[in-house]
Amino acid sequence: MATFVDRFPEEAKVVQASFAVAFIALGIGALFGVVQALHRTDFLRIIDSVDYYTLLTAHGVLLALVFTIFFLVGLFTWAVARSFDRPLPDIRLTWAWFGLMTTGATLAAVAILAGLFPEIPMSADVLYTFYAPLQAHPIFYIGLAMFIIGTWMAGADWFLAYREWRGENPDDRIPLQAFMVLTTMIMWFVSTIGVAVSVVFFLIPWSLGLIETVNPLLTRTLFWYFGHPVVYFWLMPAYLLWYTVLPKLAGGRLFSDPLARVVFVLFVLLSTPVGIHHQYLDPGIAEGFKFIAMTNTMFLLLPSLLTAFTVVASVEHGARQRGGEGYLRWLGALPWRDPAFTGMALAGLMFAAGGFSGMINAGMNINYLIHNTLWVPGHFHMTVGTAVALTMMAGTYWLLPQLTGKTVYSRPIGLLQVVLWFVGMVFMSNAMHRGGLLGIPRRTAEPQYQNFDFATAVGSVGEIQAQIALGGVLLFLSVVIFLFNVAATWAQDRVDTPVDDRIPEPLSSSSGAPLVLDNLALWTAIAVVLVVLAYTLPLASIVTDGGLLGNSPAFPVSISVQPVVDAALSTLESAAPGVPIDVHSTDAAVDRLTEVIR
Amino acid sequence: MPADAETDTGDVVSSSSGGPGGDGPPVADRDSVDDDGYVIGSGRSGIVRRIDHDDFDPVGTLVLIAIYMAIVGVMWVFMYFVEFLGGDLTVIG
Amino acid sequence: MEIHKYEKVWLAGALLLIVGLIATVSYGAVGAGIEMVGDEGGQVDPASLDEHPKFGEPGTYQTGEDEYDVYVIAQQFSFEPGTSEPIRVPADSTVTLHVTSADVIHGFEVVGTNANTMAVPGQVATITIEVDEPGEYGLLCNEYCGSAHHAMEGSLEVVPQSEWNESMVVN
Repeated sequence: MATFVDRFPEEAKVVQASFAVAFIALGIGALFGVVQALHRTDFLRIIDSVDYYTLLTAHGVLLALVFTIFFLVGLFTWAVARSFDRPLPDIRLTWAWFGLMTTGATLAAVAILAGLFPEIPMSADVLYTFYAPLQAHPIFYIGLAMFIIGTWMAGADWFLAYREWRGENPDDRIPLQAFMVLTTMIMWFVSTIGVAVSVVFFLIPWSLGLIETVNPLLTRTLFWYFGHPVVYFWLMPAYLLWYTVLPKLAGGRLFSDPLARVVFVLFVLLSTPVGIHHQYLDPGIAEGFKFIAMTNTMFLLLPSLLTAFTVVASVEHGARQRGGEGYLRWLGALPWRDPAFTGMALAGLMFAAGGFSGMINAGMNINYLIHNTLWVPGHFHMTVGTAVALTMMAGTYWLLPQLTGKTVYSRPIGLLQVVLWFVGMVFMSNAMHRGGLLGIPRRTAEPQYQNFDFATAVGSVGEIQAQIALGGVLLFLSVVIFLFNVAATWAQDRVDTPVDDRIPEPLSSSSGAPLVLDNLALWTAIAVVLVVLAYTLPLASIVTDGGLLGNSPAFPVSISVQPVVDAALSTLESAAPGVPIDVHSTDAAVDRLTEVIR
Repeated sequence: MPADAETDTGDVVSSSSGGPGGDGPPVADRDSVDDDGYVIGSGRSGIVRRIDHDDFDPVGTLVLIAIYMAIVGVMWVFMYFVEFLGGDLTVIG
Repeated sequence: MEIHKYEKVWLAGALLLIVGLIATVSYGAVGAGIEMVGDEGGQVDPASLDEHPKFGEPGTYQTGEDEYDVYVIAQQFSFEPGTSEPIRVPADSTVTLHVTSADVIHGFEVVGTNANTMAVPGQVATITIEVDEPGEYGLLCNEYCGSAHHAMEGSLEVVPQSEWNESMVVN
C-alpha cells in the first residue's frame, strides 16, 4: 500500500508548498521573536526601540496568521484527499487559492518589513490587531484581504470535494477528518465576515483616502468578532491531529468518534458569539453584553474539556495495549522516543496550563487584573504558541514522510527539538504570566519606566526577565533545529515505506453517532442565529453612538517619528519648569529622546 | 462492537517480531530502526495485547483529569480571591 | 449515542466547573460590587476635546464630600494629567476616572492595581475606585499606540488629606 504522495501526487505538491510557506514564515517570525525577547528584557539590543514594533507586527502576522494558516490549509488538503480517498475536484482551483494566499501574505509582509527602511515610504507598524485609527499602508490591508479570500477559496475547494464524494456515497457518514475540516471551515466562513467587512468597507477605503474617518470602536469590535474564532481556527488543526493521529502514535485507537463530532459542532456554534470578551475593558459596550459574551466563552470550555478526556483516554488505550499498568504508571509505557508523539503530548500538557490562564482571561471582572499585561502573551504562547505550533511541528515529523516519500532525517534531533520547545516555553510563558500580575504591560519595547518600578512579592523583575530571555533563546534554537531537520528530510532520497501512515478505526465508531451531527446546514443555521443574537445589539449601539464612519481621522504609522520627538520634547519641558525635584528626570528624558529617535 | 473495528485487529503487531502484521505495510525500514525499536509513527509496533472497546475503562485518564480539575479549582480560587479581590484600587462603579 | 460512564462523570465535573466560574464572577459583580467599564461614559468628539466642558480643562474636580471626578486625556505619548504632572486625588476618597483619547487607542493602567481601562477615541471610559492610604502609583499605557508607546507613562498621587488644597482641583 502506497503512501499519500503515491496516491495523490498533485495534492501532495500543494501540501508541501503550503508547508514550505508556513516554515519560512516560522523561521522569520521566530528570529524576530528572539530579537524582541532579548530587546525588551534588555539583554541584547540590536534594533531601535522604534523598530521593535515593526518586528512585533511581523512576528504576530507571520506566526499567528501565515505559519498557522498555511500549515492548516496544507493539513486540511491532506485530510480531505485522504479521508474522502479521492483527489480534489480541480487541482487548478487548489493552486489558485494557494497562489492568492501566498501573494496576499507576501504583500502584507513587504508592507510591514518596509517599516525597517526609512527610505521606503511604507509602514505597517500596527501590530497584528491593526486597531484604527493607527493606519498602515494600504498594501498591508489589501494583502490581508487577499489572504482571507484565498482561505475562503480553499474552503470552497474542500466543500466541492465533499459534494463529489457525497454524490457517490449518499448514505455514508462523513469521514471524521473531513467532518473536522468542513465544520472548521463553516466556523471560519461565519467568523471572517467581521474582519472582511472591517478591512474591505472601512480600512482599505480609509487608507486610500476615499473616506476621511472611521469609528475605532466599530472596526475594533469587528476585528474581535473574527479575532476570537481565529484562535479556534489555529486550534482545530491541532485538535484534528490530537483526535485522529495522536491515538495512533500512542499505539492506541481514538476513544470515541461520536464525541469528536460533538466537540467540533460545539465549536461551530460557540466560537464566534464570544469576541466581546476581548473588549471587557472597552468603553461604549454595555456590561450586559460583556456578561453574555463571558457566559458563551465559559461554555466554550466544554468542548475543550471533553477533548481532554477523549484524547487522554485514547492515549491511555495505546499505553495499555503497549503493556502499561496502574493508575499513572501507564504513562511510562508510551512511545516517548517518537518526536511526533512526544511533541503532541507535551503540546497537550501545555494546553492544559494555557487553558487555566484562559479561564482567567475569560472571567469578566478579573480581567481588570491582567488586561493588556504580559500575562496575555504568556497565555497565548502556551496555546497558539505551543498547543498549536508544537503540535504542528510534531505532526510534521509524521506527515512529511507521507508527503515526500522520504524518511525524517533524524528522529533523535526531532525529539530534542520538541523537548527544547517545551522547556523554553515553560521558562518564557511562566515568567510572562508572573510579570503580568505585577502589571508589566505587553507590546512594549522597554523594560523600565521613569516614574515607578514594578513591585514583586516573590522573585524579582530581573529574574523574570532573565527567564523570558532564556526561554526565547531556547525556543529560537528549537525552530532552527526543526527547520534543519525538515530541510534535511526534503533533501533525502525517496524510500518505499517512509512511515507507517495507517490510522486505526476508533474504539467507538461513527455508527454510534446520531445522524443529526452530520447535518452541516443545521449547525450553520444555528451558528448564524447565535451570532446575530450576540452581535446585533452591541453593533447597533456602537453605530448609533459613534456613527458608521465615526469621527477619527487617520494616524498613519509611517510618519510617526514626529510625534515621538514632540512627546520627548514635552517630557523635557515638563521636567524643566517643574518643581526643583531632580536633574535626573531631565537627563532621563534626554536619554529617552536620543534613544527613541536614534 | 462494530464490525469494521474487527478488521483493525490485524494491524496489531507483536513487539518481538518488529515486522508487518495483517494488511498493513511494513512498520519500518529495518535499517532505520534504532536500538530501542523506535521509529516515528511506530507506536503500534510496541503493542503486546489488544484491548477492545468493551475491555477498556480509562481509569488512568479519570485520575489525571481529576488531578487537573483539583489544580484548576485551587488556582482559580487563589487568583480570584487573593490576587484579584485582594488587590488595590478595585473598580466599583 | 453511547458515552462511557467515566466521561459522563467528567462531563458533569466540567459543567460544574463552568457554572462555578460564572458564579464566582457573578459574586464579584454582585457581592463585591465590581463594575465593568460600560457605555455610561457617553461619547465625545476627539478632535474638539478642548471645547468640552471638562476635558477642555482636564484634571480633578470635586463633586461632593470625599467624591472626585478626574478627567484624563490620553494622547501620543502622554496622559494629561498624569505625565507632565501627576494625577492628584486626596486620600480616603471615592474617585471616578473619566478617560478618553485625543488620537489613537490607548490603555490606562494604574500599575500593580485593578484600575485598568481602554481609552478609545470618541468614547469616554469611566471607572470608580476608592483610594485609602496616601502614596504614589505608576501609570502606563498598555495598548500599543505608536512608535514611542513605551515612553507613555505617568503617575497617580494619593495626597494626604492634610496636604490637600484648592489648587489641586480644577473647580
